[in-house]
Amino acid sequence: MAPAMLQTPHKDDLTETWAFLEGGIDSVMLKLEEGVDMKTYMALYTAVHNFCTSQKAVSSYHGLQAHRGAHLLGEELYKLLGEYLSRHLQVVLQHSKGHAEESLLGFYIREWTRFTTAAKYVNHLFSYLNRHWVKREIDEGKKNVYDVYTLHLVRWKDEFFENVHEKVMDAVLNLIEKQRNGETIEQSQIKSIVDSFVSLGLDENDSKRSTLEVYRQYFQRPFIAATRTYYENESRQFVAENSVVEYMKKAESRLDEEKARVGLYLHPDVAKDLTETCLDVLVAAHSTLLRDEFQVLLDNERQEDLARIYRLLSRISDGLEPLRSTFESHVKRAGLAAVAKVASDSENFEPKVYVDALLQVHTRYQNLVNDAFNGDSDFVRSLDNACREFVNRNRVCQESSTKSPELLARYTDSLLKKGSKAAEESELEDMLVQIMTVFKYIEDKDVYQKFYSKMLAKRLVHVSSVSDDAETSMISKLKEACGFEYTNKLQRMFQDIQISKDLNASYKDWQDKVLDDDDRKRLVDAHYQILGTGFWPLQAPTSDFTAPIEINRTAERFSKFYFDKHNGRKLTWLWQLCKGEVKANYVKNAKVPYTFQVSTYQMGILLLFNEADTLSYTDIQAATNLVPELLDPNLSIFLKARVLTISPEGAKPDPSATFSLNYNFKNKKLKVNLNIQIKSEQKVETDDTHKTIEEDRKLLLQSAIVRIMKSRKKMRHVQLVNEVIQQVKSRFPPQVSDIKKNIEALMEKDYIERLDGDEISYIA
Amino acid sequence: MSSQITLTSSDGVDISVDRTVAERSILIKNMLEDLGDSGEAIPIPNVNEAVLKKVIEWCEHHKNDPVTATDDDDNRRKTTDIDEWDQKFMQVDQEMLFEIILAANYLDIKALLDVGCKTVANMIKGKSPEEIRKTFNIQNDFTPEEEDQIRRENEWAEE
Repeated sequence: MAPAMLQTPHKDDLTETWAFLEGGIDSVMLKLEEGVDMKTYMALYTAVHNFCTSQKAVSSYHGLQAHRGAHLLGEELYKLLGEYLSRHLQVVLQHSKGHAEESLLGFYIREWTRFTTAAKYVNHLFSYLNRHWVKREIDEGKKNVYDVYTLHLVRWKDEFFENVHEKVMDAVLNLIEKQRNGETIEQSQIKSIVDSFVSLGLDENDSKRSTLEVYRQYFQRPFIAATRTYYENESRQFVAENSVVEYMKKAESRLDEEKARVGLYLHPDVAKDLTETCLDVLVAAHSTLLRDEFQVLLDNERQEDLARIYRLLSRISDGLEPLRSTFESHVKRAGLAAVAKVASDSENFEPKVYVDALLQVHTRYQNLVNDAFNGDSDFVRSLDNACREFVNRNRVCQESSTKSPELLARYTDSLLKKGSKAAEESELEDMLVQIMTVFKYIEDKDVYQKFYSKMLAKRLVHVSSVSDDAETSMISKLKEACGFEYTNKLQRMFQDIQISKDLNASYKDWQDKVLDDDDRKRLVDAHYQILGTGFWPLQAPTSDFTAPIEINRTAERFSKFYFDKHNGRKLTWLWQLCKGEVKANYVKNAKVPYTFQVSTYQMGILLLFNEADTLSYTDIQAATNLVPELLDPNLSIFLKARVLTISPEGAKPDPSATFSLNYNFKNKKLKVNLNIQIKSEQKVETDDTHKTIEEDRKLLLQSAIVRIMKSRKKMRHVQLVNEVIQQVKSRFPPQVSDIKKNIEALMEKDYIERLDGDEISYIA
Repeated sequence: MSSQITLTSSDGVDISVDRTVAERSILIKNMLEDLGDSGEAIPIPNVNEAVLKKVIEWCEHHKNDPVTATDDDDNRRKTTDIDEWDQKFMQVDQEMLFEIILAANYLDIKALLDVGCKTVANMIKGKSPEEIRKTFNIQNDFTPEEEDQIRRENEWAEE
């Protein structure tokens, strides 16, 4: 720096002042690396200060602007500085023409760094101008006046940037393409270019704020366009040469790569656009291909690839909807196939086999939803829809949709009955939970309820429950799923059994007080259960029965005790459910007498042989009063077990036959169970159950109709039908025709009447 | 942290001062940032020793004040209240008062500039034009007609 420069110029002299300043700016702009000393720095600042505060210059403006107070000087300096910057940048622009591609990037960054560093210095040196003249101009709303630093940026943009940005961007894009092709590049160069472009975004209304406009227009836009083209080409080619699964892997890694690119050297503002563009080109454009592949992957159970396809399509709008419907029909098909296999493997399959088949399909696809589809609630819904379909409408249910709940109930019974295979209590609980999984999908929940209560009744009456805890657990699960009303009767049945236990205890006390020695000798040890008619799904015996005298005496004594306690109640003996044990003292060659476990009917027959060794069929029938439908199969059981013999030998029980006690009876076990369920009975029972279901549904529909009409008084027919469906659908899916039939029935009974048009009214 | 730097007044006197104190002047602060502290004396070409010392005295006293970031701190600007120390500090002859104001403006010490201007404002407050002219030794260059017109235009402002 020339020593002459240290001499501060005359403050009134613009030419001299500018010449002095220009020299200083030159050394800052062109050779800052040589350093600036404090004297020069202070001299330059002072020169600006002195010029702006000089008195002489004031007078030239005085007349014009006197009204706004003190005039501030500096406009000339500001203009000259601007012109200086333009000249400087023209030179830079000329130099830039000798560079291309990466060399141009290097040049741009070098010049940018030099220019902005200098701008910071010059801004400080001219800070007096900023503080006064520039501030006043901006305060007064003058456009195109900026603080000195911003002035640098504005000039850079107008004089240099406007002329080179295309070439610079071409170089940037080429560099990025190289990187996408797998080459290593100088990333920091791009980062510097991004920073420069961002810095050039000036808010026209507020020079202190910056906007991303310049960056968006000149960097982001071409970058996004280039990205689109690049991936359009790449994906088209890749898809043509590779499998869809390979393509998905490629697309995923490209998406990750582009996301990382933002963090490495791009402005975060681009992230959204870049991702959207990549998704559009890499995923949306190939979505048909991916969706077609989805079915193939499902068929082959390629969980990892399914997860991949889910991840990709979940990122584009409406990408998953087609997958969901494909998934739903796939699961439905799988469920139907599993059931069809069960049905064709064997005619009389175990309920367990059926339920297991349903569960297996459900479990498999639930895991898939959780593991591959992120537990997506929409896929969960599809799974539920599919399961509901194949649980209620499959090959086994062809004749009647009530088959599913029946089988499920039978399976439940098999678990809760003593002697079931699920020994471990925790294991049993797990299985009950699984039952509830299937139960959730059952539409005819009333059918399940019906069968369940029948079987529960049997378990309770025959004391054959695996445990009270398991029973309670199952009932509370059903209650949780369907509410109090659904399980009310089941709970009452449970209570009856408890009450009966207490009753038997107090009966024993009563007996101890009342009986004399004679009575005691002939006492039959017995246990009684009092079952409330309204809660238990049990009917009075279908046949007359004359109980043996020993039993009759016992029964009458209990009745007396009971009526003393509960006056006015009625007891009906359910002989068909009673059972007992008799000792066969007559058998020869038996050291310990055999014990026969028999039904009361069987007992009635056997005890007759206390009086005679041989009895005719008619004798037996007359004594027991049993109908042939019950008598014959029971006699057959005795014959089969060789407790009795028939004559003529080999005959079937009929009125012409006679029966004799077999004194030579032999059996491996000392306790012989003769109380075997008769096949025809079981079938009749099932048919009965189905019949009562129809009856119950009618009642349920009618009570729903009356309930609704009572509260609404008047209603349109269609509306009523819809309300009824809403109310009963948690129990079973009602047919509209059934609802209509029941509305008609209620009209006949004068509960409701038809008004003009379509309206129905309640008759109070 | 608080290294010493040297300031050279326009009349060639070196004054040593804490860097933090000196940096109350934005000019000095910027320069030290740009050039780094080379240990060289910093020339202050527009301020003489007497004024520079006075300015340093003020900066010394206010070195722990929070630096007000924005220059449009309205509350600070609108009141003419001056704290007690500053009032005493400003009890100097008129010439020194104006020198301090000019130096504060030159060195870019906003708070000191404000105190100076408020002091002058307080000297004007409540005085008639004639008294003001007398205080600041100003010649009346209005003709009686001009003066009359101005008074009429500003009637609304009088009580």
